Amino acid sequence: MQIALFLLIVLGFANAGLAETLYVKKSDTKLQATDSAKSEVIAKLDEGTPVTVIKKLKRFYQVSEPGGKKGWVFKFKLTSKAPEKSSGGSGELLGALGGKQKIAARESSSGSSIRGLTPVSENHAKKKGISAEDIKAVKEMETFQVSPEEMELFLKEGRLGEYGQ
Amino acid sequence: MKKIFAFLILAGVSLILTQMSHSFDFGGLLEDLTTKPQPKSPPAKQPSSKEPPPEQGEGGLLGLGEALGVFDKKTSRILQKSVGAVQSFQPIGLEEELTLGGSLALEVVHKFGGLYKNPALQNYVNLVGKSLADVSDRPEIDYHFAVLNTDHPNAFATPGGYVFVSVGLLRLLQNEAQLAGVLGHEVAHITKKHALQTLKRSKMLSGVSGLTMAALDKDEGLFGQLINEMSNILFTHGLDKDLEFEADKFGMEYAYRMGYHPAGLKEFIQILGQSSSSKSSIFLSTHPGPAERFQGLSRLLPQYKGVGLYPVLARRYQSTVKGQL
Repeated sequence: MQIALFLLIVLGFANAGLAETLYVKKSDTKLQATDSAKSEVIAKLDEGTPVTVIKKLKRFYQVSEPGGKKGWVFKFKLTSKAPEKSSGGSGELLGALGGKQKIAARESSSGSSIRGLTPVSENHAKKKGISAEDIKAVKEMETFQVSPEEMELFLKEGRLGEYGQ
Repeated sequence: MKKIFAFLILAGVSLILTQMSHSFDFGGLLEDLTTKPQPKSPPAKQPSSKEPPPEQGEGGLLGLGEALGVFDKKTSRILQKSVGAVQSFQPIGLEEELTLGGSLALEVVHKFGGLYKNPALQNYVNLVGKSLADVSDRPEIDYHFAVLNTDHPNAFATPGGYVFVSVGLLRLLQNEAQLAGVLGHEVAHITKKHALQTLKRSKMLSGVSGLTMAALDKDEGLFGQLINEMSNILFTHGLDKDLEFEADKFGMEYAYRMGYHPAGLKEFIQILGQSSSSKSSIFLSTHPGPAERFQGLSRLLPQYKGVGLYPVLARRYQSTVKGQL
């Protein structure tokens, strides 16, 4: 009996060691009640959140998040790549030189003020004879948004993403 | 007692096997691979013995800046100290990538017909493109999609998330899965930072250990030269063949992850190869030949099992796109 208990404990530890941790790729990833896109949204997970995999189906993984909530996530919204240390300044090098580092869930420009068309880009474009109309067109391209509701409907109607097979 | 003992062992072994079996899921395997493959590329040019070592800072970007008279010696020395502080070329940061990519996006709009102003079409291309970017290996940056007003069948990506597809290319396509394949290919160039990898290996940056906003802001002349170098790579010479094949592979993968039939990109390559308008396409002049790409994609396709009923969405494509062109 004692041997059996010992084995159970050893196997239990071995099993715990194999528990897989994945990370949320992008903020607002849905944790859902079942493996269906139509099920209730239990929580929205932030980018870089570690989740423990409980079960894997073809397109959904059952996971538990750090707060203890269990649910299902569309598996392609998860990655095995852990959040990396990234620099706090402009560019990796300057951050490293300043010795100021922060933990970040990968580089992220979503919702930030970083835009491609900096004054340097615009001045350069003007000197090259690129028209104001073309500059305006790229700015409009940068600010063009698709609402979450519209994307949801697009995926649902096309049976894509979480709504796929 | 023996039965309990045997049961416990069996239960434990089965638990371990169950966990291990998860690792052999195909989609997960491919996702893991996304960070692993290193495209074969020519080795970076090593400075010759005649060239000064990077830490001396006499050559390369900053040396050029000084030579052009844009930096004074003091500024040059400060910048040299900062970029020369490390031995190897540092990763190009997001801000620098966005600045270079934004300028290259302007070059695309300027050189290739301007934007096709049709909000419905732009919205549709953004829906397809952004959904693919969301399941890519780099969903955390903003992606921007637009349609170019040219009949030549072209598609471009510039660093930082800018993707363009031309009216001429949209006319050739037959369904949404094909569009997803094309946009997936372009998104893959951005997720894998192909243009930046190529720039880092370029002769222009030999002897330079990093590229910072400080350097870009300081010297418009150098910035212009970088943009010219990247324009040549992207629009004239093309990227390394292996990088194009990698973009094909991940373009197909991203379309599959989103739930499209993964054959879309392969079908597009075939259509383009047969089209008379393809002669004017940058897609052909700067990419490996269609036959080679078609074969490459054909070899990868059988790995996707059970996709026979995955949608191609021909009707949605026809009603949304064809009516707008």
